[in-house]
Amino acid sequence: MSAITIEKLFLRYGEQEVLRGIDLEIPENVCFAIMGPSGCGKSSLLKVLNRLVEMNHNVKISGDVKLFGNSIFKMDLTKLRRQVGMVFQIPNPFPHMSIYDNITYAVKCNGIAKKKEELDKIVEWALKKAALFDEVKDRLKMRANQLSGGQMQRLCIARALALKPRVMLMDEPTANLDPISADKIEDLITELKNEYTIVMVTHSPGQAARVSDFVAFLYMGRVIEVGKTEEVFENPKNELTERYVTGRIG
Amino acid sequence: MYRRLKDDLFVLFAFASALLAILPIFHILFSVFYNGIPVLAKYGVEFLSGTLPPPNKAGGGVFPAIYGSLTMIVLSLMLGIPLGVFAGVFIAEYPSSSISKAARTVLVIILEFPTILVGLFVMAVMVIPMGRFSAIAGAFALTIVMLPYVATYTEQAIRSVPQHYKEVGFALGLNRFRIVFSITLRIAKKVFITGLLIGMAKVSGETAPLIFTAGNVWRSTGALNEPAGAIPLWIYYLVQQPYSNYHEIAWGAAVVLLAIFLVIFLSARLMVRS
Ligand SMILES: Nc1ncnc2c1ncn2[C@@H]1O[C@H](COP(=O)(O)OP(=O)(O)O)[C@@H](O)[C@H]1O
Ligand SMILES: [Mg+2]
Repeated sequence: MSAITIEKLFLRYGEQEVLRGIDLEIPENVCFAIMGPSGCGKSSLLKVLNRLVEMNHNVKISGDVKLFGNSIFKMDLTKLRRQVGMVFQIPNPFPHMSIYDNITYAVKCNGIAKKKEELDKIVEWALKKAALFDEVKDRLKMRANQLSGGQMQRLCIARALALKPRVMLMDEPTANLDPISADKIEDLITELKNEYTIVMVTHSPGQAARVSDFVAFLYMGRVIEVGKTEEVFENPKNELTERYVTGRIG
Repeated sequence: MYRRLKDDLFVLFAFASALLAILPIFHILFSVFYNGIPVLAKYGVEFLSGTLPPPNKAGGGVFPAIYGSLTMIVLSLMLGIPLGVFAGVFIAEYPSSSISKAARTVLVIILEFPTILVGLFVMAVMVIPMGRFSAIAGAFALTIVMLPYVATYTEQAIRSVPQHYKEVGFALGLNRFRIVFSITLRIAKKVFITGLLIGMAKVSGETAPLIFTAGNVWRSTGALNEPAGAIPLWIYYLVQQPYSNYHEIAWGAAVVLLAIFLVIFLSARLMVRS
């Protein structure tokens, strides 16, 4: 079964049509990249998947999205968001909380764990999964805003993983990082995709080529081409895709 | 050379304007302490515990005024902080709802309203129906005065926090209440607490809204549904009397008022730090 099935998805902000009929199948436990030039609707598409886009009052959606066979629009919102974690373009750990609290806050609010021993375990597990544990294990009580950008982003990944999601949405997770930190995140994604379905938005074809198994090229709200990453990059069927992957639109 | 001179002149000018701006504050502080501290020294602790003496008689104190001020301040904070915070949260979180639009207009009107008219309004809706002035009516007037400050700063605090913190809160399955009170307002703690502080400063210093509401008394039973004294009211009435000991007591009361002000201010500052 696919992790995510998107069917005839249209999205408008007021009068502006941003997604114009998207159909996609996202298999389980792969890294699925959505690439395309800035403004083509990548973030909007990603935020449909955890229904975050509905925070905007002027948004209108039609079509359906299924998560492991169930329509997300008929699902309990909290349940959906526990299954679908998200990492943002700007590393945004809660700056007023410690590293430890950043991870445990939502765990506690969602009623996943309450006792200190359980929480300790979750924190260690999540930080290890996010390849951050060794760097911060002696200062878990430190404010999260004292970390470097790359560490902050990995903390955000740990915070999302702590809720035990099955899908991780990542919206240009390296766009605000230095190249070395960006590399680390890319390595981490390669690691995580064995256990999680990762949907990653990127405006860099190079990044899509490096880390994804499948890629969709989004242009002006439409999927121009989708397929196995190698095939799309080696043998683009559409001329627009070819121009994009060779850096001639962007 | 010419440029240097221009720079220096500019700095001098800026310095002089800054001085000019803060000078009156220092002048007020200085004259309050200069005239008030000797009074406190002369009257001793009785100044805090005693009641108003007869004209031109030594001793006495301002206890009923302190009591009235503190009860009305506490009451109005208990009412005004939650109301103001919730109003601010609502306006920030549901900016396009018609209730928010109406609330925003009302708050702006109150903000621009002479506070004496707030007092008149409360007199019409509370004092006249109740048949007398009271501490509750005074506190209610103070609440109305402080509401727009607390609400506006709360709204500004929420708006000042980048949208993606709210987004990640929702993405983590948190509800709006938790996001506002555990994340947004904590991140914007400085602006938020500044609003509370200004609100508190307003209620502790205001005189005008109390004139037609608390009524003022020189001796009180302490009941909340009866007329109450207040430090600013006492000062206002005492300086109009032709007796020199009343003028002394007014200066002493001014020091007490400033002290209450400073305690509130400093404790809020400490809260911001920690
Ligand atoms: N909240 C919003 N209200 C109105 N228009 C929006 C909103 N968010 C995004 N848009 C518009 O939708 C289009 C797609 O935006 P987005 O999904 O962020 O694209 P991308 O992530 O590919 O850069 C842009 O033209 C943007 O201006
Ligand atoms: Mg985007």
